[in-house]
Amino acid sequence: MTPSKNAKPVQRGKAITSFFKVTPNNSQSSQPSSSLESKKKEVARTNHPKSTILQASSSKMQDVIMVDDSDDEPPTKKIKPRKSALLSSSEDDAFPKKSTSGSIKVKARTSLPAKMIVSSEDEVAPRTAQKRKKLSALISSSEEDDERKRSPPKKKAAVANDTSSKPKARASLPAKKSKIGDDEDFEMAVSKSDEDKPIVSRTKPKTMSKSAISSDDDEPKLKSKAKLKAPKQRSVKKKAEEVEAKSKIEGNGKAETQESKKPNWAALKAAKARGPIAAGSKAVPDGEDNCLLGLSFVFTGELSSFSREEAIDIAKRFGGRVVGQPSSKTNYVVLGEDAGPSKLKAIEKHGLRTLNEDQFLALIATRKGSGKEIDEKTRKKMEKEHEAIKATAKEMEKKEEKAMKEAESGAGPSKVIDPSTQLWTTRYAPQSLKDICGNKSPVEKLELWLKDWPQSYKANFKKPGKNGMNMYRAVLISGSPGIGKTTSAHLCAKLAGYTPIELNASDTRSKKLVENGMNINNKSLDSFISGSRSIPNPVGTTITDQTCLIMDEVDGMSAGDRGGVGALNALIKKSKIPIICIANDRQAQKLKPLMSTTYSLPFSKPQASMIRSRILSIAYREKMKIPANVIDQLIAGAQSDIRQVLNILSTVKLQSNTLTFDEGKELSKMNEKYTIMSPFDLTSKILGPYLFSHTARETLGDKMELYFQDHSFVPLFIQENYLKSDPAKLRSEQGPDKELKRLELMDKAASSMSDGDLVDGMIHGPEQHWSLMPLHAVCSTIRPASFIYGTGVHFGGPNSMSFPQWLGQNSKQNKLSRQLSDVQVRMRLKVSGDQNEIRQSYIPALHPHIVRPLVEEGSSAVDDIIHRMDEYYLAKEDWDTIVELGVGEQKDDLILKKIPAATKTAFTRKYNSSEHPIPFHKATDLGKVPKKIAATEVPDLEEAFDFDEVVEDASDDETNAKDTEDISHDKLIQASKKKKGAVGKAKK
Amino acid sequence: MSLWVDQCRPRSLEDLHYHHELSTRLRSLASSGDFPHMLFYGPSGAGKKTRITCTLRQLFGSGIEKLKIDQRIFLSPSKRKLEVNVVQSNFHIEITPSEAGNYDRVVIQELLKEIAQTQQVDLNAKQKFKVVIINEADSLSKDAQAALRRTMEKYMSNMRIILCANSTSRLIAPIKSRCLLMRVAAPNAEDMQAVMQHVSKRVGFDLPPDVASKIIDDSGGNLRKAILCLEALKMQSPDLSGALTIAKPDWETYCHKVADLIISEQSPARVMEVRQKFYELLSHCIPPTIILKQQTVADRVVERVDDAIKADVMHWAAVYEVRMRIGSKKIYHLEAWVVKVMSLYKHFFYDMDLTGFD
Repeated sequence: MTPSKNAKPVQRGKAITSFFKVTPNNSQSSQPSSSLESKKKEVARTNHPKSTILQASSSKMQDVIMVDDSDDEPPTKKIKPRKSALLSSSEDDAFPKKSTSGSIKVKARTSLPAKMIVSSEDEVAPRTAQKRKKLSALISSSEEDDERKRSPPKKKAAVANDTSSKPKARASLPAKKSKIGDDEDFEMAVSKSDEDKPIVSRTKPKTMSKSAISSDDDEPKLKSKAKLKAPKQRSVKKKAEEVEAKSKIEGNGKAETQESKKPNWAALKAAKARGPIAAGSKAVPDGEDNCLLGLSFVFTGELSSFSREEAIDIAKRFGGRVVGQPSSKTNYVVLGEDAGPSKLKAIEKHGLRTLNEDQFLALIATRKGSGKEIDEKTRKKMEKEHEAIKATAKEMEKKEEKAMKEAESGAGPSKVIDPSTQLWTTRYAPQSLKDICGNKSPVEKLELWLKDWPQSYKANFKKPGKNGMNMYRAVLISGSPGIGKTTSAHLCAKLAGYTPIELNASDTRSKKLVENGMNINNKSLDSFISGSRSIPNPVGTTITDQTCLIMDEVDGMSAGDRGGVGALNALIKKSKIPIICIANDRQAQKLKPLMSTTYSLPFSKPQASMIRSRILSIAYREKMKIPANVIDQLIAGAQSDIRQVLNILSTVKLQSNTLTFDEGKELSKMNEKYTIMSPFDLTSKILGPYLFSHTARETLGDKMELYFQDHSFVPLFIQENYLKSDPAKLRSEQGPDKELKRLELMDKAASSMSDGDLVDGMIHGPEQHWSLMPLHAVCSTIRPASFIYGTGVHFGGPNSMSFPQWLGQNSKQNKLSRQLSDVQVRMRLKVSGDQNEIRQSYIPALHPHIVRPLVEEGSSAVDDIIHRMDEYYLAKEDWDTIVELGVGEQKDDLILKKIPAATKTAFTRKYNSSEHPIPFHKATDLGKVPKKIAATEVPDLEEAFDFDEVVEDASDDETNAKDTEDISHDKLIQASKKKKGAVGKAKK
Repeated sequence: MSLWVDQCRPRSLEDLHYHHELSTRLRSLASSGDFPHMLFYGPSGAGKKTRITCTLRQLFGSGIEKLKIDQRIFLSPSKRKLEVNVVQSNFHIEITPSEAGNYDRVVIQELLKEIAQTQQVDLNAKQKFKVVIINEADSLSKDAQAALRRTMEKYMSNMRIILCANSTSRLIAPIKSRCLLMRVAAPNAEDMQAVMQHVSKRVGFDLPPDVASKIIDDSGGNLRKAILCLEALKMQSPDLSGALTIAKPDWETYCHKVADLIISEQSPARVMEVRQKFYELLSHCIPPTIILKQQTVADRVVERVDDAIKADVMHWAAVYEVRMRIGSKKIYHLEAWVVKVMSLYKHFFYDMDLTGFD
């Protein structure tokens, strides 16, 4: 304990003096961030040894101390740059503030006694002389020395950080916290590691020094920050000097027990799972609109006060573009703690500019808005885009006008519809193939297929054609709603010169109607009506007399359309016109028949970028001012459902002509489609590391919502899989503690689920308290998950999620217990025991008599066995049941394997060839179920009759009636029963 | 030939070997002509059914032994078919309403009313009334028990009800008050010794008393089990000499294995393994309460853990047994108990502070 204690005051003093020296430099420095870096380093050094001191008592810790000591000595220190960097950064904010308040907190982890009284220097034990020597050397070193020593580390830091692209287990570096009181009494506070761990900013000095600072605007901000810090630091220094003068100091702390040099993936994952450390601790600056316009960002690592999603959201709100992987085109990389090594490499490779969280926020706060600062290239690109949008909008306008004119000129008398009264979805429906957003290749395929159709028909669908589609008379377009399936089908049909006939869910499409009602062999009447002259349709092709059948919403053929799919399939097989079927879900059970007869043409959701320009043109056309990022937001919110985006916009248009990012977000949230998650997805979400992490934004209600998505399955899934996670709560534990804690968590989870089952009993019991569902949600799902949430429960891997066994096991149990009750009933005439007694006593007792002989003696034992079975009225099926009911060594598989096949067949043959007593016939065996004794048919005699006489009469009548009925129906039963009874008796 | 336990079953009250006082009382009740409703209760293997049959024989004569089985089908309110097996003679009918699960009320209401509304038709019958035996009365739902109440009084002239249960604790008080309670206690060692000697004499061999007492020790007062065990032992070594090991039933050995698994390792993977075994037992019709307590998992665990946590283990076994009876998914409670025991054991193992752990 003592030597390190000794070391402490010295080091602290030294470090702080050097600290002081740095400050002036700091304020003048043209590279504030790198000087900040070095400052941090110093702070780290001061804190570091301090934190290690207390541990000397435990031998395990001593090693660590050695490590840390070496850390402090300049020559060897270089080796551990990363750690000090980490620590330094972690202390960056906390240290100065806290020291001014008169105490320094050093974080400490578990397993230390909560309080430790540290003796003063005087009590230093002599045996630690060696160490003390080292320390005194340090003490004596002058300030110049200090300075000299300090400068190399500065460079080292750079080197260090370069090498630091290898991630290290961050989780294994516990932060320390201790208190130094003014009275120099020392108290060690064990505190949770998660608690206010300051931000880690790891910027890359190389790039920093080379390219000044990311953007010029950053500089003043950072400078001012540094200045702000200066006075604080001075006070820190003063305090430190005092301390030094007295040279009476206490130290404590705890060193990490573990240190790994290799990237610790588990730790990284864990860190990721934990979410931001100081969530919500920073406000988002009120930057100008579109201040990040034209900039692209990559986020990597973990920011301290925002979750990744939030950070991305912020970047998008101010017009920035967020991409996943850094490339040469990336403007900034925002680095958080534990950035991905591959990303760091990419940064190095492309020489990208990096920002830490604060710098990122500063960038937003200071950069001028509305794309005033973007470079030429981007501006040009944007202008070009803008032009394109204008052009399309104009084109649309022209087309509309043309259509209006035509309508007015009287080409079609009924077609005078003012476009402004139309729904946007109709008004701006694609008029040509190039208007269709996304799905270019399927649309082209469709068009080609339609064009080739007459040839294919002539070739009797034998020639596969370019896409192999010409073998089919029909296609099946599938894809999610609102991505233009119907539109494409209609457009393609028209372009290929067909008259589309559409049948959708609003038409009855039963078998009969599909068979008879569809006069598809007829030619279209269009050309007849309009005379011989063909009318060019808006696209310019002439409509021929060919028809094309579009069966929309085939998966919607439901109860009313009985046999519709089958009839449609039959129709497809002999169709003389092309048929286009449209469905949402190709995998639907209903559409199985169509799988072989149609060519499947899946439409995918178009990318936001594909839709964006069209929506922007429409918005422009409607004179709405909506920034592109808002459109993107809407598209993402609607899951690329173009129709929904248009509907949202048309609603917005009624109120205003603008839409901000936040409004857009709200709108898309309001119009959010509820995604139906499978129980597997739900389970992995609930048990996963995010739902219950500190930064999770989900409320209890949101969590319960997950349960209610599938309230019958989710609890079963949770119960099945809760043991498979690697609880996030154990992250800070080590060794046996971890095991104990794990069992405790498991115990809590299991007992909560046990509670849940009791609640379930009340819900599904006779009284049906359905109002307890929320309680059940909490007990069976939320609470257990809150204990054992963590990584590990997902698809694949050794602990892959499995389907609840309970269902299978329960039905097996039901089946076997039904069989057992059959056995019991048969044995009932001889045996008094109930089902349980039969299972627990008789079956083990009968086993050596009726099963084992087959194993041991083979077919010679068959006669004896059959005799004994007859004694208890057991049939062959009951023998099977008895074997099946065995567990352990008598498990049916094991037993049946031991019985030779020949013996088995001999047994079965012998049994079937002989006659056996039957105690009774099952009613169901005879096919006819006797009439039930309906409760309603029996009059309530209690009230109607008061004295016995009458009751007897009435009941007599009734029984008689019943008897005749019974006999007429159950003659066979009665007869056989008597016979069997007689046989049984005779045997006795 | 039947198993000995069925071969040597006493058929009249005179043949019964123990609880002579009870037999005398039953005999006088049967002859008094004023036979009450009765509730026979006691542990399994104590001879309740045998005693009931003997009493019936006393009441009606040997006609009671002409049994036939009939299968009746009832419709539940939700139109589900319920099959209930009915064992009957001319004078009595025996039902097990728990076969119908939650709908036992339907069975009780309809079947009992039907029987109660007909009088004894056999003119030669010794008694005017018929007897309804309700097996497993303690597993009757509350609704079914309520349905029984009024019927018991209303149709007293036509019918007597004999309830057969393991314990009275789950029967509602109004039912108990309407019945004459007949406790059939488990036989003591001497009684059992006598019965076993009687059995061995009838089958025709000499049973050394020490072998008998060994079996008796193992059977825990369950005479059925003892006699079945005796037969198994006789089959195993016909001369009944040397070191005899009483073979445990398959499920019991299996349960012991589960207990050993719990003790030998405490980890999530082990819990899942144990869960698998529990499923195996449950699906093979071993009742969860048996798994948890009697001579099986909990007992075995208690045997093997240190004195300090024995009480805790048993305490939690009791807690979860109650929960199991109330709840519907037994495995949840079994597993919760297993995890609890593992946690207790591990904590004890590491000699950790158990405060705050209750």
